[in-house]
Amino acid sequence: MARHVIIGAGTAGWNAITTLRELDKGGSEIILVSEEAPYSRMVLPYYLAQSIGESHVYTASSSRLAELKVETRIGQRAEQIDSAAKKLVLEGGGEIEYDNLLIATGSSPLKAPVPGADGDNVHSFWTLSQAQTVTAGLRKEARVAVIGAGFISFTILNALVNRGAILTVVELESRILPRMVDETGATIVEKWLAERGVVVRTATKLSAIEDKNGAKLLKFENGPDLEADLVIMATGIRPNIEWTRSSGIEINSGILVDDHCRTNIPNIFAAGDIAEGPDIVTGRKAVHAIEPTAMLHGRIAAANMAGDDTAFAGSLLMNIVDVLDLEIASFGAWDDPEAEAFEAVQPDRPAFRKLLFRGGRVVGAVILGKTRDIWTTNDVGMLKGLVYTGVDLSDWKDHLRHNPFDVKRAFLAAGTAGQLLSKTVLGRPSVPAGEIAISS
Amino acid sequence: MKVLKIIPDRCTGCMRCDLACSYEQTGTFQPSKSVIRISSFEGHTSYAPYTCLQCDEAWCLTACPVEAIGISPVGAKVVADDICVGCKLCTIACPYGTMFYDIDTHKAVKCDLCGGKPACVEVCPTEAIVYEDAEQADWVGPFAAERTKAPAGPLAGVS
Repeated sequence: MARHVIIGAGTAGWNAITTLRELDKGGSEIILVSEEAPYSRMVLPYYLAQSIGESHVYTASSSRLAELKVETRIGQRAEQIDSAAKKLVLEGGGEIEYDNLLIATGSSPLKAPVPGADGDNVHSFWTLSQAQTVTAGLRKEARVAVIGAGFISFTILNALVNRGAILTVVELESRILPRMVDETGATIVEKWLAERGVVVRTATKLSAIEDKNGAKLLKFENGPDLEADLVIMATGIRPNIEWTRSSGIEINSGILVDDHCRTNIPNIFAAGDIAEGPDIVTGRKAVHAIEPTAMLHGRIAAANMAGDDTAFAGSLLMNIVDVLDLEIASFGAWDDPEAEAFEAVQPDRPAFRKLLFRGGRVVGAVILGKTRDIWTTNDVGMLKGLVYTGVDLSDWKDHLRHNPFDVKRAFLAAGTAGQLLSKTVLGRPSVPAGEIAISS
Repeated sequence: MKVLKIIPDRCTGCMRCDLACSYEQTGTFQPSKSVIRISSFEGHTSYAPYTCLQCDEAWCLTACPVEAIGISPVGAKVVADDICVGCKLCTIACPYGTMFYDIDTHKAVKCDLCGGKPACVEVCPTEAIVYEDAEQADWVGPFAAERTKAPAGPLAGVS
């Protein structure tokens, strides 16, 4: 019986487990090594908002894992890989032999490297335990400073506002969401937030966090000091690759994987935030530290670990977040400087659409509008479909140049749905994880 | 399995499917809350409804981080409201554009085939939507292409 060792119980690891069991119905050994119990990082903001309880956060209980015939080493860390002997070495000395190894150890949050960053009431919001700390410690009308105005920061703004926090968001770069929307989009979002009482300070560099009368005093290289009761650091993430460096695995920004999620070493796969795999739009390798890529990688890696020969065309960079009922999403090469960009903006509604074309193909898109505004938010999935299929829109290009909001008819007329029916991931019907049949 | 087969040539654009769908799904007659949506072509002289194909390898189902999307006895992919947290991952995962989000309930919404008695089919006066055994197909694509491809120059058919 083949033995699959999976390191990491996040989205990539969990999807690998369910996919393996969909395919082999229990006919292999799976050992899960993970520092933390399996939970979904994606739903932590809803836990912070107190719209769900802690039990809702977990993806698999220990009894569920047992049903799936998964042996667990929860609370343990992988230390080293001996690929010649096909062994994983654990911290504290244990060893596990593997036939296939999946590295899905995710990424860790970075804190701005300033004095006081490790002090009391300065937290990242990344792991469940950090989420527990912030959720429990947040008082109504607390003054909260969020350092960083990227995707992670924006996923928790609603929760913080709804819990009655008084918010200031600080960003080093000249605009908010610098890796998700362009200048036009960022300007709309900044205005939207300002109108709703969220203070945003861009182009502002934090220099120190001091203590003052039981509160935190934030000092900046430019701009006035800021007093806060709680500081949340959302200043980027970094793949957890350090421990793999001695293994001979090829690393760039992340662990390099091919279109089967294989590393350069036989029988070692990588998936999710830690993996640097093909990008469907550019064809180049990139780290896409997003939930959909972790899911995709996890499923592809598992299919190949199970002995299938399953390639994927690449992962698609995409993000969606709403802040106080303003919807913001971007796809693919939304910042491609060489693409033709067709855009339309209604600053006061607000509504914004940008389509990026290379030849007859949409390679990226930005969409922004009120959540309640059906016109703006209806087409999110279709934009994904257009970028994912790369369907030929030559006949529609002129029309979309002038009407970038009119995506739906172009999507329909280009036969995108027909292409999608054959462009699936594993080419097999989905099975809800709760209904996976395990042979006894 | 039985699917919603759409024969757009028969559609008159009366929007009864939109109304019935929104009423069935949300209790209000509000086309903006329908999960079947009519598009118009050729200056509002031809129309076609479009909705979830219930694709086999369902993007929404695999994308959901909390397993809120399951498969009903009639084969529809359905959202469990008590499990959905409203994170919208399914709305960007579904490349067909047939996952919706209800701002009033903060949940994802999609076609559930009304448990096997689709309201859109029942109210369609011209049998432009039928519920029968068929392979999934791009029902609307060829119809839309015929009505929007101009022979040359600007897109004459596009309103």
